Amino acid sequence: MAERVSVVLVDDHSIFRSGLKADLDDTIVVVGEAHDVESAVAAVTDAAPDVVLLDVHLPGASVPAGTSGGAEVIRRAAPAVPGTRFLALSVSDRAEDVVGVIRAGARGYITKGSSGADVSRAVHAVAGGDAVFSPKLAGFVLDAFGAAVGETAAAVDELDRLSAREQEVMRLIARGYAYKEVAAELFISTKTVETHVSAVLRKLQLSSRHELTAWASARRLL
Amino acid sequence: MGWNPDSTLIRGPGASAAALASAWMAAMGSRAQDITADDATAAAAPDTPAPDSPDGPDAGARPPLARPRDCVATGVAAGLALHLGWPAWIVRVAFVALTPVAGAGLLLYAWLWAFVPWSATPGESPEARPRRRSPVAWLLVGASVAVMVAAWILSRPLVSGEGEAWSWWFWATLAGVGLAVASGAWSTFIDRPDPERGPRSELAVRGTATALLVVTALALVFGPVAPLGPVPAFAAALAAVLGIGLVYAPTLIAHWRDLTGERTKRIREEQRSEIAAHLHDSVLQTLALIQNRAGATSEVARIARAQERELRDWLYAGDAPGESDLVADLRDFASALEIDYPVTVDLVVVGESREPASGELAAAAREAMLNAARHAGGEVSVYVESRPDAVEVFVRDRGPGFRLAAVPGDRLGVRESIIGRMRRAGGSATVRPGAGGVGTEVRLRFPAEEATRG
Repeated sequence: MAERVSVVLVDDHSIFRSGLKADLDDTIVVVGEAHDVESAVAAVTDAAPDVVLLDVHLPGASVPAGTSGGAEVIRRAAPAVPGTRFLALSVSDRAEDVVGVIRAGARGYITKGSSGADVSRAVHAVAGGDAVFSPKLAGFVLDAFGAAVGETAAAVDELDRLSAREQEVMRLIARGYAYKEVAAELFISTKTVETHVSAVLRKLQLSSRHELTAWASARRLL
Repeated sequence: MGWNPDSTLIRGPGASAAALASAWMAAMGSRAQDITADDATAAAAPDTPAPDSPDGPDAGARPPLARPRDCVATGVAAGLALHLGWPAWIVRVAFVALTPVAGAGLLLYAWLWAFVPWSATPGESPEARPRRRSPVAWLLVGASVAVMVAAWILSRPLVSGEGEAWSWWFWATLAGVGLAVASGAWSTFIDRPDPERGPRSELAVRGTATALLVVTALALVFGPVAPLGPVPAFAAALAAVLGIGLVYAPTLIAHWRDLTGERTKRIREEQRSEIAAHLHDSVLQTLALIQNRAGATSEVARIARAQERELRDWLYAGDAPGESDLVADLRDFASALEIDYPVTVDLVVVGESREPASGELAAAAREAMLNAARHAGGEVSVYVESRPDAVEVFVRDRGPGFRLAAVPGDRLGVRESIIGRMRRAGGSATVRPGAGGVGTEVRLRFPAEEATRG
C-alpha cells in the first residue's frame, strides 16, 4: 500500500472530482483531470497514469450510439498507454453501461457512493493487476453466465461458463465478502481468489455468450 | 370548515343530473313501450282481429321489452313480438306495412333499435356479443343493386325521349348509393367485431360496395343519361363518388388516429428518456456525492440514499415487474430500513424469482434484515439466489455479532421469527458469525417445491 499510484480522474462534474480528490488517501497522486471524452483521451495519453478513474457516463461529441462515453475513452486511449488500467466509477443502474465499460477493457467497477477509502483500495487493487468486483457485478456475472440454473464449465478454458470454483468465489463476493474473507471461507489464499476474479473478468470481457447482452438489456444491474 | 357548504354545492348538481338522467331514461323506456303498444295494436287491428288481445294471463306477465341476443338482424322485431306475445312475422309485416305511411314503420324500427336494450339472460355475461343470423351487410348490398337496377329501368323513358329529365331515377340512384354506404358502415361497425364474420367479410362487403358505386358513377357519366340530364346525372355520380369515400372513411379515421397515437407515444417516450438522462447526469450524481461526503451512516446520507432510490424507481419504473414478489418486497423493505436506521442495504439478486412476497421466506428474510439494521447497522449485504431446486437468502451484517446460545430464552426474534418459522414452512435457517468473525450471517433456504406452491 505504501507504493504511490498515479491517477487520472475523469468525470464531467468538477465538484465530484474535487470531492473525490480530497477523499483519496495519500498514496494516490492525481496527475490529471478531464471532463469529457476528448479531454480524457488527451489527459490519459499525456500523463500515462497507473490507473484511470473513469465515469461511465461522459459527454463527448464523438460517442457512437449504443455505447457510453467511458467505454469510448477506453477504446481510444488504451492502445496508446498499455500500462494504464481503467477503473469504472458510476452512479449508473444500467447493466448495459456497466458491462459495456467492462467489456471495453475496464478492470473493475465501483459505485460513486463508495467511500474514499473504498475507492483508494480499489485503485490499489487495480494498479496491482487485480480485478475489482462489487457484490452487484458479481451477482450480474452469476446470472449472466447461467450459474443460477446450474451451468458449470467443464473445461478450464471455456469462456461461456464459470467453473465451480469461480461460482463459489462470485457467490461469496455477491454476499458481501471481501477477498480476504472469501479466501478464509474457501481455505485458499487471497492471491488465488484474485486469480479467480481475474479469470472471471476475462470471461466477462471475451465471452460471446448472447445472454450477456440480452440479459443486460432486459434487466437493470445494481 | 368554510369549504363544506361549497363542496356540497358542487356535488349537488352532479347528483341531481344523474337522477335526472336516470329519470329520463325511465321515461324514454316507458314512452317506447307506450308507443309500441299503441302502434302495434293499431297496426295489428286490420291483420289480427279480436282473438289475440284478450289473452288473459299474457297481459299480466309480459316479458320486458328487450332484444334477444340471438337475433336475425337487430332483434327489434323478435323482442317486440316476445313482449307483445305475437308471432314475430306479424310484427315484421306491421313494420313493413307502416313504412309507406310517411316512413312511420322505418322510424319506429330505428327508434326501438336505438332505445331498447339487449336482453339480460341470467346465464350470459352482459357484454356477450349478439349473434346475428342474417348477413345484413350482404342484404344491404343486394338491396343497393336492386335499387340501382330499378333506377336504370326508371331512366329508360328518359332515354327513349318520353318522360321528364328530372325524375324518379335520380332518387332511386341516391337511395342505391345510400344503401351501399350503409352496407359498408354495417360491415365496419357491426360485423367486424363479430367473430363469425370479422375483417375478411368486412373487406369483401366493402369491396363489393365500392365496385357497385364505381360502376354506377361510370354509368352515370358515360351512359346515355348524361347528355339528356347533365345536372342530375352529375349530381348522382358525385353522390356515388362521395359514397365511396364514406365507405372507407371509418378505416381512414381509425388509421389516422392510430398514427397520431403512435406519434404522441413516441414523443412522450423520447421526452421521458431525455428527462431520465438529465436527472441521471445531475441529480443522481449530486445525491451520490452527498452520500460520499456525508459519511455512510449519517442522517444526510440516509436521506440522500432514500431519495436516490425513489428517483431510480421512478426513472426506470417501466421495467419493474408489476406484481409483488420476494425481490421487490425485500427491495422496498431495504429502502424503508435505510430511512429508519443508520444502515445501507446492498441487495444483490441472482436468478428469476418466483417466490411470493407473502411467503414465509420473505417474512423470515425481513426479520433478519430488521435484526441486522437494528443491532448492527452500517453495511448490510443481502443476497438472493433463485435456483431451480431452492431459493436462498443470505443476510450479512458487520456488527458486534452474537451467539445464539447466549440469547436469553424470552427473546423470540431470531429463534422464533427466523429459525422456527423457516423450519415450520419446510425450509431451513442457520445463524452464524460472519466471515472472519465479524458480524453475523443469516442463511435461509427454501426448497423449490415449497416455493412454487407457496
